[in-house]
Amino acid sequence: MLGAFSSEWIKIRRRSMLLWGLGGGLFFALLATVFTIERAVRYPELGFRGHGVRVTFARLEMPDGLVHGVVDVSGLIGIVALCLFAGAFASEYSQGTMRNLLVREPRRAHLLCGKFLALAVFIGLAVLLEIIVSGAVAFALAPGRGITTSAWTSGTGLSDLAQATLHVYLACIGYGVLGAAIGVALRSPGVAIGTAVAYILPAEAIIVGVIWSDGNHWLPGQLLNALAHGGNSDSSYHHALLMLAVYVVVIAGATLRLFAVRDA
Amino acid sequence: MPASVVTSALSKRFGPRLAVDAVDIELPAGVISGFVGPNGAGKTTTIQLLLGLCRPTSGTAEVLGQPITNPAAYLDRVGALIEAPSFYPTLSGRRNLEVLTRLGRIDSRRVADVLEIVELSDRADDFVRSYSLGMKQRLGVAAALLPNPELCILDEPTNGLDPAGIREMRGVMRGLADRGITVFVSSHLLAEIEAICDHLVMIDRGRIVFQGGVEGLIAAQQADIVAIPEHPADARALADLCLAAGKPARVEGAEVHVQAPEEWAPELNRRAMAAGITLRGLAVARASLEQAFFAITEGDD
Repeated sequence: MLGAFSSEWIKIRRRSMLLWGLGGGLFFALLATVFTIERAVRYPELGFRGHGVRVTFARLEMPDGLVHGVVDVSGLIGIVALCLFAGAFASEYSQGTMRNLLVREPRRAHLLCGKFLALAVFIGLAVLLEIIVSGAVAFALAPGRGITTSAWTSGTGLSDLAQATLHVYLACIGYGVLGAAIGVALRSPGVAIGTAVAYILPAEAIIVGVIWSDGNHWLPGQLLNALAHGGNSDSSYHHALLMLAVYVVVIAGATLRLFAVRDA
Repeated sequence: MPASVVTSALSKRFGPRLAVDAVDIELPAGVISGFVGPNGAGKTTTIQLLLGLCRPTSGTAEVLGQPITNPAAYLDRVGALIEAPSFYPTLSGRRNLEVLTRLGRIDSRRVADVLEIVELSDRADDFVRSYSLGMKQRLGVAAALLPNPELCILDEPTNGLDPAGIREMRGVMRGLADRGITVFVSSHLLAEIEAICDHLVMIDRGRIVFQGGVEGLIAAQQADIVAIPEHPADARALADLCLAAGKPARVEGAEVHVQAPEEWAPELNRRAMAAGITLRGLAVARASLEQAFFAITEGDD
């Protein structure tokens, strides 16, 4: 597995991977941070004027205000991870490189797990970078708007920061498991990414909105969103974590089985 | 020398189509074995079975003494180029090989060695997307050589190469055999196989139709005697003379091709002379591998 992990890092260091993997999430994180701070309002009653809901200064001045913007767009950061994993697995088939890999590492479970772990570490670094850079930008912009940042560096603030980072990362791993499964199953990057995004964005929304309103407690995309936010009005953090653990075990098991028995 | 590959009734079915049909192969070690057959005959599927890339529907096989159900037991001693050479286009040739050395726990110093063998050292740090097809094929051979293999399986290594590239690839394969590596090379280009192989496996519609020495196969085919009369106008009369002696003959331009054993050539010369036909050429034309292949497969129908 170590060989597969180490080998995958050569591919991760490609410019295209760095651009999409690091740049994609960073773009959304920065955009959310800048918009959240620049559009924040001092008084709650102003929050509903104009277009969209604006966050208040008081909300941003809380200990977890530093990562408010990043957590808000954690779904989009997760979709970047989903596409990255789906593309990384499916492109090995479409490029014909999977056969080369299987000749050098015929233990298929080792190959799959090593590759997944390398991508998981990469996504971890990407989430860290997003938190650090967006945090730095938040610190730079907040004083100019008159937002007090002292709570951000308090003990509670740092703890909230660590927890938010962990939640966003765990959600990204969940998206990654889904992406890897779809990539292995469909074997074409375009089809895999298209299917994955179509499921997470419109399909689940339609299911929850039209067919099954209780789906927001049980569907993976809804649960991943709850996990990234540390729990929300639909699902508590622990419910989301438990349900997603079950999903991960089932999806990862099925993917491993499919990868092991199917002709390359 | 023990066989490198032994298969017994090896079969692979894709839905209703039997791609490989009860194949029995025995490849001698240390020689270049050709694997020939038309497109779609089952060559690539057989190779994929030997490499553990797909599972047999029935039958068994051993590669380097290990069953193909446990490819981890032998693939570290096998190099392979499967169909078109496939690499990461935005990695250099060197980095592509490093992906494989890390994955297979192969000494990274092998990368420079194999690049030298296939004469790609000077372009090793360029992106693969800038390589010509011939260079990609050579990189594919380099990848196959990484584990310092005992057995090298090359699937259509000259596909898409120009004549110079084909010649280079032959040189590379000869070099491998000279170093004691067993080479199993598939191709649908029979002349190419004839030029480099000592041993041959022929497959047609999923079934093995011949295996053995190339020389033996060709020698077993009926040779033609080619007679060239001094005056082209005598060709027809010479052909009739052969037909009268019970030897099938046909006129091809100024030549008369006679289906008869080599020993009949002096008799042909005497009969031509008696009929007042002077020959300016008399030779024996051996069957080519292509003719042998069609003789076998058409006979099989």
